[in-house]
Amino acid sequence: MPSAIRSHSQSPIRRFRTRITKFTNCRLLKNGSLVKEDLWIGADSGKILDGQDVFFHRQTAPDQVIDLGGRILSPGFIDVQLNGAFGFNFSIEPENSATYVKELTRIKKSLVETGVTSFLPTTTSQRPETYHKVLRFLGPSGAQRNANDGAESLGAHCEGPFINPCRNGIHSASVLRAPANGLEDLIACYGQDAFDQHTSPIKLVTLAPELPGSLATIAELKKRNIITSIGHSAATYEEAKDAVESGASMITHLFNAMSPLHHRNPGMFGLLGQASVPGSQKPFFGIIADGIHLHSSVVNIAWNAHPDGFILVTDAMPLVGMPDGVYDWTNGDRLVKNGHILTLEGSDKLAGSSITLIECVNNFLKWSGTSFAQALGTVTSTPSRMLGLENCKGTLEPDADADLVVLEDAIDANGSPKLQVEQVWKFGQCLFDASSHSE
Amino acid sequence: MRVIIRKDAPEASVYVASYIIERIKAFRPTPSKPFVLGLPTGSSPELVYKHLVQAYKNGEISFQNVITFNMDEYVNLPPTHPESYHSFMYKHFFSHIDINPSNVHILDGNAPDLARECVMYEEKIRRCGGIELFLGGIGSDGHIAFNEPGSSLNSRTRVKTLAYETVVANSRFFDDDVEKVPKMALTVGVATVLDAREVVIIVTGNHKAAALQQSLEQGVSAMCPFSALQLHERALIVADDPATIELKVKTVNYYKSIEMIANQNGFTQTIRPQVEIDNTSKSVKEELDSPVPSVAKEGLLAKPENVDLQHMRSPTPELMPDRMASRLANGYGNGLDTGEVQFQNMSSRVAPLAG
Repeated sequence: MPSAIRSHSQSPIRRFRTRITKFTNCRLLKNGSLVKEDLWIGADSGKILDGQDVFFHRQTAPDQVIDLGGRILSPGFIDVQLNGAFGFNFSIEPENSATYVKELTRIKKSLVETGVTSFLPTTTSQRPETYHKVLRFLGPSGAQRNANDGAESLGAHCEGPFINPCRNGIHSASVLRAPANGLEDLIACYGQDAFDQHTSPIKLVTLAPELPGSLATIAELKKRNIITSIGHSAATYEEAKDAVESGASMITHLFNAMSPLHHRNPGMFGLLGQASVPGSQKPFFGIIADGIHLHSSVVNIAWNAHPDGFILVTDAMPLVGMPDGVYDWTNGDRLVKNGHILTLEGSDKLAGSSITLIECVNNFLKWSGTSFAQALGTVTSTPSRMLGLENCKGTLEPDADADLVVLEDAIDANGSPKLQVEQVWKFGQCLFDASSHSE
Repeated sequence: MRVIIRKDAPEASVYVASYIIERIKAFRPTPSKPFVLGLPTGSSPELVYKHLVQAYKNGEISFQNVITFNMDEYVNLPPTHPESYHSFMYKHFFSHIDINPSNVHILDGNAPDLARECVMYEEKIRRCGGIELFLGGIGSDGHIAFNEPGSSLNSRTRVKTLAYETVVANSRFFDDDVEKVPKMALTVGVATVLDAREVVIIVTGNHKAAALQQSLEQGVSAMCPFSALQLHERALIVADDPATIELKVKTVNYYKSIEMIANQNGFTQTIRPQVEIDNTSKSVKEELDSPVPSVAKEGLLAKPENVDLQHMRSPTPELMPDRMASRLANGYGNGLDTGEVQFQNMSSRVAPLAG
């Protein structure tokens, strides 16, 4: 075990509190590698500071120095597909607004402890009434920059209902629809409010590109700065390529709920096989590395095909951390939890995962043998680029939000490298400290 | 001039770093009496900073009451540029220690009025009470700070145009593109450095050997600004073996023997703190000015007790002019005619010339 994390006041004679913290003796995740550098953050601005600029121009020094004893300092993790957690499901209509908000707050605070500082609360396919009620609570929540809110929503991820009934997974076929009339149908489904506002509560929509009206819809969403991810789809390679050309930039849980790779008909996965020439549009893609949804070698194939687009997602369900048994799900369905495996009652269809993002990172580390820096990039810089937030999330460059995870690297019982969340910071404030938890 | 020779650059750096630490400690700086330190950039000092940072982290030294002045900075290079001396100092030194940012001074190469910036810098140094110790490195042509060969040895802080060789040498830090290298810099003058109460120069690597030889074994010359150090009362040069290869064996042995003998006799070649020097000087003056009789007088010529000196002393008789003959013993002058001298014509004593 390396030394404990030490924190001390830098200067007893400083006249005023600067509320600036300096992390020292740490390895920063920067540009795809770990570098030995210090990091300065400000609790007032909630941002990462340019230490040199603060030193020379504001003539200000940190009043707290934290010695991380050689640990890794990474940007906070971003989970772009999370259906719920700790017994709460984003897709269930609240009995009353207050309960929903209270539950949502509880989830956000708990989520932070897993290293996730921002996420896209994800709704599975529902009836329009549900969207009208829940979406307004799921929009971006970071405007107040209140660290005590816990993990921050970057906007909702609407997974369905504009998906292919043949690839519905556990999404109830009864609520699925096609966007035949383009955006009009999306407004009817998600609600006028979702498209009226200056900033929509929706950040990302998963839809199947082969459905009638999909391509036009993708173009309309792009105009409104809403990202389209293609998935739950039986699209051919050609159809998928058209979707990307229309503006789709992501594939939802690659390999799961889509036509499998066939050597004469590569399907959606074929998009990653395009030549890496300027102008080629290889999309980002989500990977569920829970050891159940995908074989480890398939995860590695995807990684090797397009590492810059590789995003680990949990697709976690509300049953994370709950005892085994049968649980009510939405639209009258029920889920069976058996250890880490979740299935739809009466079928063998996988019903999302019950894994945390850090566990996905550790699985990926074990399977691929890639570096810590590369593995951490799949939950930090890559998702932030996908979301167009590369200057404020998923990076340790000055001016980005001070959302941080302190990680201890270790070797597990099987001799594989493993990362462990030690501290989590949000907007420049420490919200979780493993050492104080265990005491 | 003191010269310390060490095996290699790491050992020379350790010597310099510990020397500075000892000096700061002995000085006992306080907020009202800070230690003012002049600082360089460059590859030789980089190692010194490393040791200073380590010493700080080990709790051996604090920089709370240290004020720093850097030697130079490029003109028109953003301070955030990785090659700016702001960046160098932040990266290698300031970001790791407990120095108060408002105690750090580096010339602003982007100031609207560069001449004014230079005058301001000199004034700031003066107001801090002058530099206690100026640490420096030298260039292979003997330049110190950006005072290239030919710089006035009386120069003060000013704008300098860089020598073409320096620009070319620096291009390795600017994508090997001479166009990108700054052509001007602000720098303290040779006289600014010489004004410091002590100057410590670290010289490492055989590419510095010619400059070291010129400065130590030859005369003071503007063609080697470093040689001006010969005029400084308390200069210390710390060199590694490779930097001494152009020196005479005699010179090297001389300095090595001095250090050896000093060590054998248990005294270091450290400068005493100014306070001590001032105190000594003060007490010497007091002693010389005081009317107290010396120890020697008291021991050998002590005055007898209860004696009235005035009445013991015989009165000095009046001067009575008399003839000297009258003081001769009776009979001593008998037979001598002491009558009046008879003058006569000289020619009478000369035999008449024949014919």
